[in-house]
Amino acid sequence: MSTNRTAILDRLVHEALNIRRNIWRALHAAGSGHIGGSLSAADLLSALYFHHLRLRPEDPNWPDRDRFVLSKGHANAALAAVLARAGFIEENLLDRFYGYESSLGMHPDITVPGVEMSTGGLGHGLSVGLGMACGAKLTGRTFRTVVMLGDGELQEGSNWEAAMAATHHAQASLTAIVDCNKIQQSGRVSEMLDLGTLGDKWRAFGWAVREIDGHDMAAIVNALDDLPYAHDKPSLIIAHTIKGKGTSFAEDTYLWHNNTVTDQIYQQALDELRETE
Amino acid sequence: MISNLTNSGIPPKTIEAAANQSRLAFGLAITEMACHDDTIVAVSADTLDLIGLRDFRDRFPDRLIEIGIAEQNAMGVASGLATTGLRPFVCGYAPFITARSMEQLRNDVAYANQRVVIGAGASGVSLGVAGGTHHALEDLALMRALPNMTVLVPADARQAWHATKATNKLSGPTYIRLGGRIEEPPVTQNEKVFQVGKAQLLRDGADITIIACGCMVALALRAADDLKVKGVNARILNMHTIKPLDDQAVLSAASETQKIVTAEEHHITGGLGGAVAELLAQHLPTPMRLIGMPDKFAVVGPTDRVRERYQMSVCGISTACLDLMG
Repeated sequence: MSTNRTAILDRLVHEALNIRRNIWRALHAAGSGHIGGSLSAADLLSALYFHHLRLRPEDPNWPDRDRFVLSKGHANAALAAVLARAGFIEENLLDRFYGYESSLGMHPDITVPGVEMSTGGLGHGLSVGLGMACGAKLTGRTFRTVVMLGDGELQEGSNWEAAMAATHHAQASLTAIVDCNKIQQSGRVSEMLDLGTLGDKWRAFGWAVREIDGHDMAAIVNALDDLPYAHDKPSLIIAHTIKGKGTSFAEDTYLWHNNTVTDQIYQQALDELRETE
Repeated sequence: MISNLTNSGIPPKTIEAAANQSRLAFGLAITEMACHDDTIVAVSADTLDLIGLRDFRDRFPDRLIEIGIAEQNAMGVASGLATTGLRPFVCGYAPFITARSMEQLRNDVAYANQRVVIGAGASGVSLGVAGGTHHALEDLALMRALPNMTVLVPADARQAWHATKATNKLSGPTYIRLGGRIEEPPVTQNEKVFQVGKAQLLRDGADITIIACGCMVALALRAADDLKVKGVNARILNMHTIKPLDDQAVLSAASETQKIVTAEEHHITGGLGGAVAELLAQHLPTPMRLIGMPDKFAVVGPTDRVRERYQMSVCGISTACLDLMG
């Protein structure tokens, strides 16, 4: 691996750590929140915002910017965390998470700079992202659209309407990333409503599919650099992740899908994150 | 409407068919708009014939995005298109494009405040024989309850044409309620523009006011003829905009005629009658009768028969007026 590439990966890993710190900061300010599904997405978001997406934080409505839609909107702490790191919003806004009349609530709001769509109801983002991709084609713009889905979210049937339509309309500029952390609100996805062989399902819907370790930064960067995987198909990345990744007590348990964040918990989380530096 | 299209290249039979059916007038209007505005996009949920989109598709195949029988996706896609500066017109069946995609309508369109126009054909009991699954008698209530949403109910094809064009001036989402595959008698004559939120005075009268929308406007005018024979002069307001409601027109009517009858092809809860009653209850309590669907699912049957069954008829309207007159 070249020195340059090593430096890129090191930076992305470092930013992922900062995103995780910001997630805890925001949800500590809130007093509680969707920890697990925010932390599982941190490495993916670092690679997206600091390597893949073409963005201008100083001009958030730049017409040619790439679009990112967080369909699993309950991970808004992660989105806010990365938007703050990327310079779309002030970092101290995280301290107003869940605050009265705050622009940062449990779910993303389109009025926040860098947020492309208000999300939160599950199963919406892929349709919206498909509309954005169609819009790029119709307006002659070259921006790409990336939608992040949760694996539990895929139980919503509307995703599959969008998956079918994206193939029919041959939207190769559209990429979906499944943050496949295996756990939803009430338990393991496989026990609640099993998704079966997920890659085969998407391939059957006509998508070009790649599966990666969603915490392996080199694998994430390679997967993003190789997009699109076909010239006439949308691309799907199934990113296998660990819910709550980065803080041992929150990892791989539905209990930290949404939980209370006390001062003590917050300190414990920061201590653990410091050790990984 | 037709004079505008002389040189458009749109087949005369398409124009002729749109003259008496609001659903086709909507489709024709967006086709005509698309001829000189390349931001106009049609999003269809298998509605090429319901909304009359075949000419649109033939002329602008790239700008007709067929989503198939998947209303939730159609609504989300429309929202995404709107974020890129395009002007999507989502075309669907009123019962499905509202209730089936209600969460997308609320979150992606209304909450995100995107400039999406929803053209909803086959509203009310226009699909009478299809039964309760295909009747749309709650769509206005659903749409009225959404912040940011403008709700239009054109009274005939001409007005549907003008209403569709008037959405150019609106910055948020709009719901346009359209009829089914039945002739709609013309009731608007000389209208050149459509003023969103401004009720249309079709006939003045001092004894009672009938506030109607959509297909009930034609019936209200006939009811007014019957009433005149009986010595009652009814004012007729065509309330083509349910939201924002023309408060001033309603309050003036209540003040000047003292009695109000509303008429709509919709449940009497949550639609036009509800909107008028909410206003008057707070600002000028006025004796009212509400013509519309009672709190039950309608029977199967031809549209006219189903309407008559629930007093959504000339007789139903005039009887309600006479009842209110005492």
